[in-house]
Amino acid sequence: MKKNHHALKRNLTGYLFITPQLFFFCLFLVYPIFEGIRLSLYKINYQGMSFIGLENYKALFSNPVFMKATVNTIIFVIAIVALTVVFALFVASAIFDKNAKYVSFIRGSYYIPVMVSMVVMSMIWSFLLNPANGLIPFLARELELPVVNFLGDKNLVLPVVIFVTFATNVGQAIILYIAAMIGVPKELFEAAEIDGANRRQVILKILVPSVKPITLYIIIINIIAVLKIFVVIQLLTGGGPNNASTTLMYFLYNNAFKYNQLGIASAVGVIMFIIALLLSIPQLRAMFKK
Amino acid sequence: MFRRKNKRKRDKYDVIANVIVIFFALLSLFPLYWLITSSFKNSADVVKMPPDWFPTTFNINNYIDVFSNQPALKWAMNSVVVSLVATIALIIVSSLAAYAFSKLQFRGKNIIFIIFISSLMVPKEVLIVPLYRIVDNLGMVNTLHGMIWPNVATAFGVFLLKGFFDSIPDSLRESARMDGASEFKTFIKIMLPLVKPGIGALFILYFVQVWNDYVWQLVIGQDEGVKTLMVGTATLMQDLNPNFAYKMAGATVAAIPLLVIFIFFQRYFTRGLTMGAEKG
Repeated sequence: MKKNHHALKRNLTGYLFITPQLFFFCLFLVYPIFEGIRLSLYKINYQGMSFIGLENYKALFSNPVFMKATVNTIIFVIAIVALTVVFALFVASAIFDKNAKYVSFIRGSYYIPVMVSMVVMSMIWSFLLNPANGLIPFLARELELPVVNFLGDKNLVLPVVIFVTFATNVGQAIILYIAAMIGVPKELFEAAEIDGANRRQVILKILVPSVKPITLYIIIINIIAVLKIFVVIQLLTGGGPNNASTTLMYFLYNNAFKYNQLGIASAVGVIMFIIALLLSIPQLRAMFKK
Repeated sequence: MFRRKNKRKRDKYDVIANVIVIFFALLSLFPLYWLITSSFKNSADVVKMPPDWFPTTFNINNYIDVFSNQPALKWAMNSVVVSLVATIALIIVSSLAAYAFSKLQFRGKNIIFIIFISSLMVPKEVLIVPLYRIVDNLGMVNTLHGMIWPNVATAFGVFLLKGFFDSIPDSLRESARMDGASEFKTFIKIMLPLVKPGIGALFILYFVQVWNDYVWQLVIGQDEGVKTLMVGTATLMQDLNPNFAYKMAGATVAAIPLLVIFIFFQRYFTRGLTMGAEKG
């Protein structure tokens, strides 16, 4: 009897401690997930809402702009994540064992654009790329390149967005890799050196495999970050030219807040939610194995 | 570690790699250099080609314009209030919850924790439509409340702080409880001071995250009086004013608070980011 009472009190204390966090979590995260699924099954306009089953999803899959947005988002995710991992590994492996001041300078230089935010960086790049009076079109003219208006060219707009997003985000991966590489036991390198391995071999054979868990983490957080890519599209390209650079998040935002297609927008949200969840399964599994 | 005591010629790969790394590091600072120097040019010089690589004038009129034509000070205040309140609220609720997940025993603990952590993988932006309706029903559209409270829902704080609580030995809590301190008192007096570095990291990381929470602030804060600095400066870009120097001054105003935070708290960023990854 007394034992029961004790267990009850112990449970109650635990619940009291998590209740405030749980309250916000349920109200602004769990409930919106279910509400989003429900809304995606309705046709919603100013007059009201009517249940239409999966019609919104059917409409989406026959909508060329949605398909373009999906393909673009996939291209962005793959290209940006690959560039980020490879370049961050390259930078971190080159500097991690140098003196602390140098490491801190390099780390800071790459992290400052992350810090300053996508909004500000997009504004700067939009100025740098402005076809009339930007620095980059000026240099392109000086070098007599065939293209000057990079954002107006439907073949070049994706590479430009990929580059800008990559350059603004890679700093975070570099910080993570440097920290991980500093933690790799030094005996491993020494043994390889005695065997006559040069630095490049040591990096590829020992360092890169040793930081594999961090690579997995970086891949996941970057997939999630690129999946919702929006700011750079809104401020740099407006989704253009002719929807060539539109993304899922930009499509969702426009449907919800410009065209007032809340049902359609909710369906896009549900699809993105499912993609995010599927992509994160490897990370979650790794996390809970411990 | 590659440096041996007996001097050996430097590895060629290493030299080339570091030259490339330095080159790109400087290149990645260049846009910011261009932003700040452009903001001090006058409207003719800023679009002059070939450009002045080093500014020849130090013209602060663009800044005066940003603060007099636009309620930039009000935007900045709104950003400060939103980021500060959301971050402090998150620290309070998530430190309580992280402590419970780390040190207390209660039924359903593991399953609730798994749900919490799984939610980290879902970007809030994909829920923007239902979230907007909920916030609208609560009467919080076009208020700072609408920008603040949904940001307290994240499991990020629990995720970060649980690791710090885990590293405190259980015996410390048990002896405090033996001495008759209540659970809450143990938490406040003994445990919380021990996770100060974690709270510092969470504060910096989350403050910046909310400061940059552009999409949500754009959707919720359309009225002039509740615009935040990020949303306000982004509207400058769409402004008809053709003076780019003026726009760059606006962007600089939005960037400076974050640059200052970064310069002073760099080690917290490094630690906070790394904390998250180590458990991953």
